[in-house]
Amino acid sequence: MIELKDVDFSYKGTDEAGLHSITLTVNDGETVLLCGESGCGKTTLTRLINGLIPHYYKGELSGSVTVNGRNIAETELYELAGTVGTVFQNPRSQFFSIDTDGEIVFGPENIGMSPAEIMKRKEQVAQDMELTPLLGRSLFELSGGEKQKIACASVSALLPEIMILDEPSSNLDWKAISELKNIISLWKSQGRTVIISEHRLWYLAGLVDRILFMRNGVIEHEWNSREFAGLDTDELKRLGLRPTKLEERYIREFGDGIFGSSTEQMRSYQSKDGDIRIRDMFFSYEKRRKKELAADPDKCTLSIPELDIPRGSVTALTGENGAGKSTFLRCLCGLKKSCTVKLDIGESVYSGRKLLKICYMVMQDVDHQLFTDSVTAEVCLSMKDEDTAKCNGILESLGLLGFKDKHPMALSGGQKQRVAIASALAADAELLLFDEPTSGLDYAHMTSVAKLLKQLSDQGRTVIVSTHDPELIALCCDYVLCLERGRVKYFGEV
Amino acid sequence: MKLHIDPRTKLFMIFAVSIIVMIPAVSPATWALRTGVTLIPLVLLLFEKKYIPALAFTVLYAVAAVLTLLFISSESTGVLYALLVGYCGIIVQFMPSVITAWYAIKTTKIDEFMAAMQKMHMPDGISVSLAVVMRFFPTIKEEYGSISDAMKMRGILFGGGKVGKMLEYRIIPLLFSCVNIGEELSAAAVTRGLGAPVKRSSICELKIGAADITLFAVLTVSTAALIILKTGIVG
Repeated sequence: MIELKDVDFSYKGTDEAGLHSITLTVNDGETVLLCGESGCGKTTLTRLINGLIPHYYKGELSGSVTVNGRNIAETELYELAGTVGTVFQNPRSQFFSIDTDGEIVFGPENIGMSPAEIMKRKEQVAQDMELTPLLGRSLFELSGGEKQKIACASVSALLPEIMILDEPSSNLDWKAISELKNIISLWKSQGRTVIISEHRLWYLAGLVDRILFMRNGVIEHEWNSREFAGLDTDELKRLGLRPTKLEERYIREFGDGIFGSSTEQMRSYQSKDGDIRIRDMFFSYEKRRKKELAADPDKCTLSIPELDIPRGSVTALTGENGAGKSTFLRCLCGLKKSCTVKLDIGESVYSGRKLLKICYMVMQDVDHQLFTDSVTAEVCLSMKDEDTAKCNGILESLGLLGFKDKHPMALSGGQKQRVAIASALAADAELLLFDEPTSGLDYAHMTSVAKLLKQLSDQGRTVIVSTHDPELIALCCDYVLCLERGRVKYFGEV
Repeated sequence: MKLHIDPRTKLFMIFAVSIIVMIPAVSPATWALRTGVTLIPLVLLLFEKKYIPALAFTVLYAVAAVLTLLFISSESTGVLYALLVGYCGIIVQFMPSVITAWYAIKTTKIDEFMAAMQKMHMPDGISVSLAVVMRFFPTIKEEYGSISDAMKMRGILFGGGKVGKMLEYRIIPLLFSCVNIGEELSAAAVTRGLGAPVKRSSICELKIGAADITLFAVLTVSTAALIILKTGIVG
């Protein structure tokens, strides 16, 4: 049983929001969902239960937190390892090993279990979670969904009675989400207590027993599953939550296109004059000469002979984890030297290094592409000749003028994304590419990204956005481009 | 064919190879010894199927050796000679150690490494920190790649014309992301019991094979020979 009594917490040294007078009891075997917009305190609440607060993240803590009769403040983290397990948001930064087996046995080894018992645990977990085919592989070659499964397995191997998941679906496609759902119901059937903090709600409906809504560090509402299912979309919207049902409709619509074999219901797109034409896009991870690639397209990782994309539109790039979406984007903006892609825009043909000038990709981890010490400098860095008026114009259109002298790293995630877009606009990029811009975003932030993409296309830029987010597609995309094993499965209007 | 070497042998190998190639060689005997030991990293490259780097290394090494023997003496002065000495020193005295260390890091699983450290009764604090460093190499490589890509897109791969900026643009985002990943990584590791005051177990069984014994013997004999030659106990 988890008991929080009058807990107040504030982080030391950062502006990260804390918690105020939290009182909560979670019974054994209960499945609880924490929801609310980014920064509402969901993650902080999970850290109180797994002991990272106060042992790892320091701050002012008052009130008491007890888990299975143990006072968290007086229990060392390693003592909690067999009681509370946590699956973190980002698999990239929670793996300690470089291979799947090593990762699963990492926890049991830490607590000094005997090797024979560890092997038994590993077999058991692999069997329960159906991941025998993943054993013995390198973690770096797994897809996002497979990584998340290994993360779940490595936590599960310690057999904790309480499982915490912090936004587990952020980087997953719809198929991987349904596998995640199976894992959660497995844990539930084993009688474990499961606590999930999440923005995407649809896949959890019917799985959770209790839903807590948080705002500004306070638990504002509490529903049981029946009451929660009764909330309509408008009410959810008012609370800043993503819909609980809408996505499923889109999964039927797009999901079949992505995962099923029938593509008939999609209206395929008829090219017209003035389209941007992508041609000869062949790429292979094995080293080959360019001529060989075109001659043998079957062996290519990515093979798109010809594709027309309407200018000034927003195209959603979808497909399973590992279908080649990122590779497509990276080839298109000229980052893969060995790719043979050519781009026809109007009268001009772009290929090779010229692609870097005409295309710009906003990466998923936007921290990688901010280099300077102020927003203005960041934008000016992209211009050949510094043009303050133009710079201010761009910043104003993106609502960044008020932050022009701030350090980019001091901004919020959404603001950083906009700074990256601003620098793309300053470089006069015609084609703007986005790599999963809404993964892990709450409803409000997701809709503002959607508005922004729409705004960019209204200004005449062509936008291609890779995404697993059907709501984003519904809100702002004109066309859907679906990839399968590096081939175009279909391209059609939404 | 796959070569399997115990992590302990690898550690000893890094140590012994570095000593032998880094100590200045003057007599023909020490030169021969050093060249002989340099074959080890070359063979390791071949085992890892790095044929082109292996060839490049051989050529560079041969050039450096010839240059050293023909042109460089203790009386050499001037800028050109300084550059030559620098080049030869890096190829002959550092590259073999770098290749050996690269091989050791690339082919050792973290689990294996931890087991080996435990067998050697290394304190957990040291072995865990070293393991984290090893775990970080591929991550740094990945992050570095993404940052390079971002720089290419901005056209500032070479600092946008400013030499001083080249390093700044590259290092600052790298530091930010490594610090973040490091922090999240250790949070994830402690929630899974890392740092518990119990004896850490391991499912990894270490076996000393023929390759280990051979390497150990060759390296011990070579190190001993070098010490004898250098201190001049014999002759």
